[in-house]
Amino acid sequence: MNERGEPAFLLGISHDITERKEMIEALVRSKKETELAYAELEAFSFSVAHDLRAPLRSMDGFSQAVLEDHADSLRPEGAQHLRFIRESAQHMARLIDDLLALSRVSRSDFRPGPVNLSTLAEKAIARLRVQAPERRVEVVIAPGMTDRGDATLLTTALDNLLGNAWKFTSKTPHARIEFTAEGPPEARTYIVRDNGAGFDMAYANKLFGVFNRLHLAAEFEGTGIGLASVQRIVRRHGGDVWAEGTIGKGACFYFTLRSDEEQSA
Amino acid sequence: MSDKAILLVEDNPKDEALTVRALKKANVLNPVVIARDGVEALDYLLGRGAYENRDTSVLPQVVLLDLKLPKVDGHEVLQAIRANPRTRLLPVVVLTSSNEEQDLVRSYGYGANSYVRKPVDFVQFLDAVRQLGLYWLILNDVAPVPHEN
Repeated sequence: MNERGEPAFLLGISHDITERKEMIEALVRSKKETELAYAELEAFSFSVAHDLRAPLRSMDGFSQAVLEDHADSLRPEGAQHLRFIRESAQHMARLIDDLLALSRVSRSDFRPGPVNLSTLAEKAIARLRVQAPERRVEVVIAPGMTDRGDATLLTTALDNLLGNAWKFTSKTPHARIEFTAEGPPEARTYIVRDNGAGFDMAYANKLFGVFNRLHLAAEFEGTGIGLASVQRIVRRHGGDVWAEGTIGKGACFYFTLRSDEEQSA
Repeated sequence: MSDKAILLVEDNPKDEALTVRALKKANVLNPVVIARDGVEALDYLLGRGAYENRDTSVLPQVVLLDLKLPKVDGHEVLQAIRANPRTRLLPVVVLTSSNEEQDLVRSYGYGANSYVRKPVDFVQFLDAVRQLGLYWLILNDVAPVPHEN
């Protein structure tokens, strides 16, 4: 101030906030776009769930009706072709279901909480045993593997991993499936190991792609979507999944539920 | 087995034919009334439109309700059934293609008694229809239709 009480100079802090404002606007815009895309995905899934299955039901149902009602006038080849139509319709229905399950992995809310992976695995195995009571499979599940994660998503992941182990040991005389963990609780690697058909490590990078299959449908049925779901699930948890295998000896799938940074933190 | 009707609400004629075939194969002898959209279903139940002269004191034993229907969809039909004092206790089985969580939650939320997904495999579908028939037409007792005041 000078002697007349007028300010001689001003002291202040000024920021150019244009950039920050633009950033916020961009964020709001991208959030809106994401919400719109999400709503579209929901509507798309709804339509797929309802509309795509109905024609398949007709193909399967009316083929079966012809097989039943016109068995006398059908030659064996014709009956065989009708059975192929039914098989194809049912396969496509499985594809649709698995694709919906895959998109559900991304669409569903992420609700983390304490989960007991040992219990989830035991339930998954119990479901598999009900579906194929004639199979003799030695299953070893380490007890008390508790962690933090989304129970619904992890159920899907374990259903897929253990379901694969179950499927690919179907031609193994002494089938054995293990689910264990290594490392301290805060930096655990989970391991699903089987002594089944295994795979060629040269194609390991293709395992987790949607629709990628390393086995012929005639050898092992499948849609090639299960492991893509597993990968999405563990990545939503911040973890990762990778695999090792040897043809004829078995496969081993490893997954984590945290990133390396989180684990070292 | 009661001789009361089954109301099948289904817009797809092929699905209708397959469901009727499955009911027949499951030895269900009850008459099957078909409604091809939600409006027709409610007209039948509430004695409106083409069913103006129907005796509405007789309700079907069970309603098999598809969700995706023209005009008034299955969820809306279900809400209307539950909102009307005469039909609010009527057993409704949602019989549909989807097992999306939102469909299940909404159906039960609006008061569906059961939710069955139609399998693509007809042999499985037949088994589902057989079990439905056994349960809803034989085992289950329905509430009496309330009198009109």
